Amino acid sequence: MDIDTSRRSFLTGAAAALTVPLALPAAAQMTEALMPELARWPDSYLRIDADGIVTCILPTCEMGQGTHTGQAMILAEELGADLSTIRIEMPTQPSEPFRLPFGQMRSVGSYGIRFFHDPMRRAAAQMRLMLVQAAADQLGVPKKSLQARNGMIVHEGTDRAIPFADLVQAARMLPVPEPELLPEEERTLTGTDVPRLDTPAKTRGEAIYAIDVTLPDMAYGAVRLAPVFMADVASMDPASVLDMPGVIAVTQVPRGAVVVAESWWQAKQAADALDITFTQTAGDTLDQATLEARIAEGLSREDVPETLTRGDPAGVLEAAETVVEADYAVPLLAHACMEPVNCTAQDTGDRVELWAGTQGHDWKRMMLERELGITADQLFINTTFLGGGFGRKTWHHDAVQAVLASRAVDGRPVKVIWSREDDTAFGMYRQTMQARFRGAVDSDGRITAMTVRVAGPQMGAAIVQENNMDPFSLLGLVDQPYAVPNYAVDHAVVDIPVPLSAWRAIATSFTGYWMESFIDELADAAGMDPVAFRLLNLPEDSQARPVLERAAAMAGWDQTPPEGVYRGVSVVGSYNSMVAQVAEVAMVGEGDDARVTVPRVFAAIDCGRAIHPGQVETQIQGSVIDALGPVLRAKITLEGGAAVQSNYTDYQLVRIDEAPAVAVEIVDTGASLGGVGEPGVPPLAGAVCNAVFAATGRRIRALPLADHGLA
Amino acid sequence: MTDFTLNGEAASVDADPTTPLLWIIRERVGLTGTKYGCGVGACGACTVHIDGQPVPSCSLPLSAAEGAEITTIEGLSLDGSHPVQQAWVEVDVPQCGYCQSGQIMACAAMIRDVPDPTDADIDAYLAGNLCRCGVYNRIRVAAKRAAEIARG
Repeated sequence: MDIDTSRRSFLTGAAAALTVPLALPAAAQMTEALMPELARWPDSYLRIDADGIVTCILPTCEMGQGTHTGQAMILAEELGADLSTIRIEMPTQPSEPFRLPFGQMRSVGSYGIRFFHDPMRRAAAQMRLMLVQAAADQLGVPKKSLQARNGMIVHEGTDRAIPFADLVQAARMLPVPEPELLPEEERTLTGTDVPRLDTPAKTRGEAIYAIDVTLPDMAYGAVRLAPVFMADVASMDPASVLDMPGVIAVTQVPRGAVVVAESWWQAKQAADALDITFTQTAGDTLDQATLEARIAEGLSREDVPETLTRGDPAGVLEAAETVVEADYAVPLLAHACMEPVNCTAQDTGDRVELWAGTQGHDWKRMMLERELGITADQLFINTTFLGGGFGRKTWHHDAVQAVLASRAVDGRPVKVIWSREDDTAFGMYRQTMQARFRGAVDSDGRITAMTVRVAGPQMGAAIVQENNMDPFSLLGLVDQPYAVPNYAVDHAVVDIPVPLSAWRAIATSFTGYWMESFIDELADAAGMDPVAFRLLNLPEDSQARPVLERAAAMAGWDQTPPEGVYRGVSVVGSYNSMVAQVAEVAMVGEGDDARVTVPRVFAAIDCGRAIHPGQVETQIQGSVIDALGPVLRAKITLEGGAAVQSNYTDYQLVRIDEAPAVAVEIVDTGASLGGVGEPGVPPLAGAVCNAVFAATGRRIRALPLADHGLA
Repeated sequence: MTDFTLNGEAASVDADPTTPLLWIIRERVGLTGTKYGCGVGACGACTVHIDGQPVPSCSLPLSAAEGAEITTIEGLSLDGSHPVQQAWVEVDVPQCGYCQSGQIMACAAMIRDVPDPTDADIDAYLAGNLCRCGVYNRIRVAAKRAAEIARG
């Protein structure tokens, strides 16, 4: 369905507001082109109310990535508004077209800025022109003598100025004109480091996350779920806990039960004490060794469809003198958001309301309809801040639990909170994957052929394309930047009985590590410097070259590092951005006690025009530190079909005392806008492991380093 | 009944004395700036000051608060003007922000004890506070800036 809204203004609930729809771009602008339905967001619009407050309705949440500040900057600049008057809001109830098969209202793929930048600019330009026209009519002066500045239309020469608020009534009667965008030299707000809009609230404890939502008569829910992933409830005796203090009800939910009480601690005590048994499943005996062996079988499987083949890689490898072979592996990872999974719901029969810190509004809508029969017109989702998302908060289980809990207590609102142990054990994990790389280099150091066999699960039929092309498994491989004339990628699919989900940077979180480790192995085989080898094998016009050269320069790559410092380099493109990193590794301790530390990382990013350079910097710094946890120690392993890890004590992430100092520089080559929230993750593992090779001579082909006695 | 002082005001709570103080602060008193992160004192998101000392409130039973003076992020200053809050705004530290109440409370305790903290001091005082967004580079800058503001 195409809705052409470009030529009309319309009124929404707020009377006397000027509203301009956001005409959103075609799916082709989504570089991944994964979800064509994402192309249209008919509910997105820009509105200015009679008080001068500008509201933009967008489908993207704020989970730390700073997207609402960046979006507000783009709007304020193009409109000529004061930044403090801009509000970014998410609709509680999108209309019919949002309910498409894979969902549209989602905050994923680092697209909050790059996808909405152009439509927001166009809508803001249209609104500005309407305000200018209204002022021109009122003042009786030519439009070209008027400018929008700081929320006013200002007349050059006489300095007469009319606040936007005073023009809304007249402007809303005008037709929506063709947008005339500000010339580049007048774009003076984007590209600067304005303070984040959410910082004051977040430094005073005033920012409201889902877990903070407080409603009249609210009860609390704690979960007791089957530890084995695919198991369900076999028997349950609510009476075993109903007389415990504060307990109101026990209700069965998929995979377990929710205990509802007057406080969360009471609910938690009762959930732990609940007499419940779970069904046996085929997964009950699954342990880590079995899981890894099952995936490894895929490395040598025959008859796997060719996902990508160019040239004759098998033939060239067969004939080549210098061939390198290496197998790589990555484990399951948890998201471990600081704010654990939680959701508040109230089901009053004809209306269901959620209070959720969610990345996946439409997934929740779809699943609540499928599992509980709640239709979209009955469902209202209030979006709070998210205490981290990283892909975990695209899911629906907490919402299903909260609705069932509310139903169990006669429609009282219930806040269901998972304990940290629940959050860790019942994760939707980053997939565990393995790969076999073969590559050949000629005597000049050019890569002549490469094959990549990936083994492991796919991420769901909804996104898998022809020939096993699963973007959630293969991006970073099928689109790797090197000029390899004979190249093949395929994927031996190995199903595993583990719930899986996108994790920050999705496939590139591991494909970037593999590819950049293997490129380093080829460089070594060619007897070349890792940076020089990459530059030799990158096409002249590759976006990877400028960032690679910049990161190398930042790190002083052409100088010998100080005694005891070892360096590794990596460059990976993702989400339409390109990031190069040089990691410095220093070994602490001697012999078998030697441990890897990463004191410094140098990163260069090309994300096109940086809307907020300071936020680009902090996102890349944070991504590096986030990615370092699973390089050093973090992993989820299985025993008896359940996760072994349970808390931050055994799923260890990087603390301030281990965090590298991360220097970030932005390289603007004039490329189109790229994402920023995820692209800092993929290069880090390769850069660190390549530095570990420089330090120890050991190739780290499976993460984390702790498994090799190095962390 | 457990009596204590919270952000300068007398409070009296009738609850199971084994309940972790965190949940009393959040659900009974209604101050939600103090966050639940891990429940075992491993992440620091729930850090409050008890008689001036930074303590993970998730791991302290209500009974231990009897007679204590407790300060939460809401009581650190009336208007966000504590030197740590000022520095946090100046450096624009938070991303998701969920851990920041705890980071700020831990840092406030540090700069009171250590007027001019070194990197090693910062590591020692703040390593108990996990940040999943990894904003440690900015925390380090802001912690030093906070100390500077406090020194005047």
